[in-house]
Amino acid sequence: MIGILFRRTFQANGVRIIACVIGLVVWGAVLPLVYAGFGQTIGAFIRNSNNPLMEQFASFGGGDLFSLAGAIALGFIHPIAIALLGVMVVGFPILSIVGERQRGTLEVLLARPISRHALFLVLFCVGALSLALLVAAQLTASVVSAAFSGVLDELHVGNIPLVWAMGTLLSVALMAIAFGASVSFDRVMPALGVTLVFVLVSYLLEVVGSIWPAAAWVSDFSLFHYVRTKELLDGQLRLFDVGLLGGVLGIALLYSWIVFPRRDIAAPS
Amino acid sequence: MPVIRTSGLGKHYPMGAWPARRGTPVRALEALDVEVMPGEIFGFLGPNGAGKSTTIRIMLGFLHPTSGSASILGHDVVRDGLAIRKRVGYLPGGISLYDSMTGNGLLDYLAGLYGRPAPLRASLIERLELSEADLKRPVRDYSRGMRQKMGIIQALQHDPELAILDEPTEGLDPLMQHAFLALLDERRQAGRTLFFSSHVLSEVERVCDRVAIIRRGKLVAMSSVATLLARRRRHVEARIEGAMPDLTGVPGVSAVDIRDGVLRCDLEGDVGPFLAVLSAATVRDLTIEPARLEEAFLEYYAPDAADAADAADAADAADAADAAGVISP
Repeated sequence: MIGILFRRTFQANGVRIIACVIGLVVWGAVLPLVYAGFGQTIGAFIRNSNNPLMEQFASFGGGDLFSLAGAIALGFIHPIAIALLGVMVVGFPILSIVGERQRGTLEVLLARPISRHALFLVLFCVGALSLALLVAAQLTASVVSAAFSGVLDELHVGNIPLVWAMGTLLSVALMAIAFGASVSFDRVMPALGVTLVFVLVSYLLEVVGSIWPAAAWVSDFSLFHYVRTKELLDGQLRLFDVGLLGGVLGIALLYSWIVFPRRDIAAPS
Repeated sequence: MPVIRTSGLGKHYPMGAWPARRGTPVRALEALDVEVMPGEIFGFLGPNGAGKSTTIRIMLGFLHPTSGSASILGHDVVRDGLAIRKRVGYLPGGISLYDSMTGNGLLDYLAGLYGRPAPLRASLIERLELSEADLKRPVRDYSRGMRQKMGIIQALQHDPELAILDEPTEGLDPLMQHAFLALLDERRQAGRTLFFSSHVLSEVERVCDRVAIIRRGKLVAMSSVATLLARRRRHVEARIEGAMPDLTGVPGVSAVDIRDGVLRCDLEGDVGPFLAVLSAATVRDLTIEPARLEEAFLEYYAPDAADAADAADAADAADAADAAGVISP
């Protein structure tokens, strides 16, 4: 029964996942190409401009275009990547619980001998696997693109799994927060609103902190800050970052695990 | 042992934690005591908002009761939801389906989640006149009636011991309603129990063994359909030649009206004493209009009907209900 539910959930989200994989593969390939083609020139131009403001803006969210690691890091924090990942990070949990609850299909499903815990676990696993796939697709495209551009030797390819693991951990932690919102409301809009506010504020704090040195401290309050892609590509993994993201994931999961079975399932609208 | 037993079952909704929303809790269901026995078709009556769907949703574990208890097939609805849902089929009111799936795909999927075969599917598809071509189309292309048929099939295809059906004939045309009611009858003969909510009283009258009437979350009546009907007033009209019989003191007779040689009255309970008196007169024509469940329902249910002293108003309401065939709150 769980296998049927698992397969069906993957199938139902298949088009969405494939579209996001294609988008992230294209995006993941673009920045190493840009770096290989124009990175040195852009870097020299900015350095020669002697304009600190321009240098600040050039290192957006811990990424830049002056090194291959910087380009990959920029690809990770860029709004395009965030938006594509957001389809699964935010859209999937919201649609699969509160969306189905609002439509009325959740009660058709839960009229079967499936516990809410089992349903939640299946949905969470499908979401987590999808996100692992999406992050892997983007990184693989970046590596292939770097190889194609002849700059792969600038990268410690052996450290890529670290970036994949931390990128996936961040995405899954944010998805767990979306699941928490999804199990807490009867209608889509409040759940979506709460999740988007959390993700966008967190993202904004990281961006502001990264481009404005005087406000660098605010990025400590962003979950995005704890995936330090450039450091990870150099093989530096901070256990604190793992613990923090893991802690957020654990708390959000525990919350959903407790709340989902205890909440009344409102009549569909 | 009853298939369904509720004892003092209640559901209250708090008004919310915000000071602006604080107020008296909404009492959706209060102290409901219902027992449904094996092999019966049980009708659960009440207009919109009476608490029918709340009761059903508690039975299925979608809502948590705030007081009392309920058990289905011997399992507690709060603790043993999984055991219950293994043995129950459920049709939600105004069912929603996965629009992107084909009819066949949807039925396979929903049957697969029970983890057991669906022996009744083929016969249900045939009886409800869904073609193979229909079942190959995506559900999004289905009409409301076809969706309802799919809802009925998914609820019954695995031959559940108990089927809980929330307004099952909604959206079905009269022919399909007829076919569906015949299906229920067959399921009863196969020993299955059916619990269905409705506000279409003619179908309840036709197939149900017993009914419960719920009003504003409270049970106001529960009895067999036959008992309920026997208690109802019948409308009598007799064309009499010569002297009119004296109906004073005849048990069950009320609202006597004699005009132009026509005697009109309401008759409640046993018809014997009334006919005995009538036999003394020269009766040229006699009509006893059969009691309708609508009238029983109205008496229990129409707002403040119990307090209504004006019999004419009640009769008007009954006529309106007869005409519509559906009771509105």
